[in-house]
Amino acid sequence: MAEHALIAMRGIVKRYPGVTALRDVSLSIEPGEVMALVGENGAGKSTLLKILAGAARADEGVIEVSGQVVQVHSPRESQAHGIAVIYQELNLANDLSVAENIYVGREPKTRFGTVDFNAMKSGASRLLTSLGINISPDEIVGNLNIALRQMVEIAKALLVDARVVVMDEPTSSLTEEEVETLLTLVRQLRSTGVSVIYVSHRMREIFEIADRITVMRDGSVVGVCDAQTTSPNDIVQMMVGRELEDLYGIRTVPVDHTATPTLEVRGLSSGSLLHDVSFAVRPGEIVALAGLIGAGRSDAAMTIFGAVKRRRGEILIAGQPMALRTPNEAMAAGIGFVPEDRKHQGLFLGLSVRENMSSASLPRISRLSVVSQRRDRELARRYAKQLGLRESAIEVAAGTLSGGNQQKVVLARWLARLPKLLILDEPTRGVDVGAKAEIYQLIRTIAGEGVAVLVISSELTEVLGIADRILVMREGYGVGELDAAQATEKRVMAMATGVQEDGS
Amino acid sequence: MTSNGDFVKQETHDASSTKQFAPAITRVALGQKTLKGLKKIVTARESTLAAVVILLVVYLSWASPYFFTSGNLTVVGRQIGLALIISVGMTFVILIGGIDLSVGSVVAFVSVLTGVFIVNLGMSPIVAILLALVGGAVVGLVNGSINAYMGIPSFVVTLGMLAVARGLSLGITSGSTISGFPSEFLFIGQGAYLGIPIPVWVAAIVAIAAHLVLTRTTFGRHVYFVGSNEEAAKLSGIRVRRVKISVFVIASTLAAVSGILETARLSVGQPAAGNGYELLAIGAAVIGGASLFGGVGGILGTALGTSLLLLIQNALILLGISAYWQQVFSGVIIVGAVALNMWRKQRN
Repeated sequence: MAEHALIAMRGIVKRYPGVTALRDVSLSIEPGEVMALVGENGAGKSTLLKILAGAARADEGVIEVSGQVVQVHSPRESQAHGIAVIYQELNLANDLSVAENIYVGREPKTRFGTVDFNAMKSGASRLLTSLGINISPDEIVGNLNIALRQMVEIAKALLVDARVVVMDEPTSSLTEEEVETLLTLVRQLRSTGVSVIYVSHRMREIFEIADRITVMRDGSVVGVCDAQTTSPNDIVQMMVGRELEDLYGIRTVPVDHTATPTLEVRGLSSGSLLHDVSFAVRPGEIVALAGLIGAGRSDAAMTIFGAVKRRRGEILIAGQPMALRTPNEAMAAGIGFVPEDRKHQGLFLGLSVRENMSSASLPRISRLSVVSQRRDRELARRYAKQLGLRESAIEVAAGTLSGGNQQKVVLARWLARLPKLLILDEPTRGVDVGAKAEIYQLIRTIAGEGVAVLVISSELTEVLGIADRILVMREGYGVGELDAAQATEKRVMAMATGVQEDGS
Repeated sequence: MTSNGDFVKQETHDASSTKQFAPAITRVALGQKTLKGLKKIVTARESTLAAVVILLVVYLSWASPYFFTSGNLTVVGRQIGLALIISVGMTFVILIGGIDLSVGSVVAFVSVLTGVFIVNLGMSPIVAILLALVGGAVVGLVNGSINAYMGIPSFVVTLGMLAVARGLSLGITSGSTISGFPSEFLFIGQGAYLGIPIPVWVAAIVAIAAHLVLTRTTFGRHVYFVGSNEEAAKLSGIRVRRVKISVFVIASTLAAVSGILETARLSVGQPAAGNGYELLAIGAAVIGGASLFGGVGGILGTALGTSLLLLIQNALILLGISAYWQQVFSGVIIVGAVALNMWRKQRN
């Protein structure tokens, strides 16, 4: 161990009106170390990172770089100390090229004061190659997938000689395969002596790359563990501060396999992304659509829900063929749909939790188009209670809630319609462990009440943990179906990627 | 510091003594409820604006002997009324994240139509008014349909309509004005009921109805949903296109109402009417707290914004400041009000 930590935060206290977000938090990172920072949403991780990034100021405490106390009062000062923060929301100009994004604000100049595009391109190219990233510097960023965009962001950070790279949930929207690419890059960084602070909810990744793990809860650090000598279960328990019951729950009501399927899809095709997909979901059954991003899972969901135009194929609801040309028709047929992208497709962020919850049930709580204020409030209260949201949150803007609570609001919207079929696209993305368990429990409960559930998820452990049956998709085709009993991560992955499994 | 502390002490003392005197629990509960309601009013987004408007009225009554004359109040009231009708329609469009630049030209178009129907064709005023309203509604239908079905931004669609409707008005009249309206028609612009000008009555009814529609009906909710997040609205089963078209029809129809009243007030149908009204209406809605990104705003704010802009205009006239300077003030107020709003939001 070096004499001085590369970066050390000591005794950090941050108070907001009414709450203490951080109490006496200390964190230190050695050169070339990957430090995982974990904790439930609201544990104070984001606040701590904001202080490190110079986006917020600590009320007490100091930040040291190589043993020297430094002032970090603006993002610029933070960068000057070699700290680069990569936020969940990427800061890239989607219409510009990779090279232009990497050099933004630091463009090399020619003798005449114009931008030296050649120097920029070759510089970017060298940087990308050294990181093992295989993208052309001329590529327009908007054409890249999320993982590659993230890599561009990392490259951008390293251009200014970052000594520590902070990644805030970098894999939350990546597929398993993309995650691997990112983790390889993290290892690459470590080998060149760059330190990484890695914030994530995903235990598997954390244990794959972290040297040490700092666990936060309620604004304090509750432990710093050596990744070699700790188990994921220990970490999860430290995070939630209680014994975590089996996360996914177990089926209590058996599925009636003779029942008419609530949803049956035959030869479904739409656009270029969905080809001849067939499957069925019975009442009370939980079926998962697994596959890589772009495999057509969300398109299948959107097509069933009438949000994407169906080209060919049949959709049967309770045995009856249905047109389902619009979301409205799908809703009338008893389908509910929790979309993948909560912020852009799910929530009305600026409107209250109450308005969000009743948004799909207005006709039921209105008479002659006049919304009954009383029934509106009752609906919100009932579902807030059922989903474990505080009653005081009902009139608050949905955008101010944590990821887990936001997801509960979207779920409430559909539960309020008492659906026969509920389609959940990435139901636990960006949701902390505690809320995840609650959402799984909720899925179990509604399935137990006879609702057919179709879950789309990029987290294989989630797919295996919750589903009775798994349909694997690849490049728009259904490539196989597995019973929960016979499914393993390896088998699903092999089907999803099309790589032959060896030894089975 | 000390005086401040004393003041607080005084207040708490007062509060406890009122509690002591309250004879029954219900009285206390009722008091708390009104207190809570009062707090809600004071902290509401519109309260600052309302305070500014009230202060301005107080100042004007003090600074100018003419402000509180019935003549001046009638003129100001009528102006506010005519502008408010348009601003209310604009608020609907802004709430869905759109903008309608054609309302000023609709005023002209409807003014000309009314003139043609009543004066040139000799129709009865009631039939003429109804037909003129239909004319206004059709403009909105065109705006909304192009916006909703072809996905052309409302800014562009209505910018085109601004030119088209103005051009139609000029073309129909060859640029001249139409006069010779019967007195029963002129009454709706110049007359009064219970001492209050007719346009003020109409504006009040329109504003109250619009407020109720936005806050109490499913359509109102849909407007906010579409403005807040169009994609989410679509995936919640809301017929987004229908909402969009309706909103543009409302904006144009209300502009038509204002145009008819203004024609009656001025006794002429003129193709130059309504010039720049769209900017006044947008300014009023924005001062009232509406967000141009949609999903935020309300009729109360818009009404206060309209009043503020027109009272300032009136103030400049009464205080003898040249009319040429008026726009400077309006512009500064619009940006200032939005800056204030954003500053408040950030502090929260």
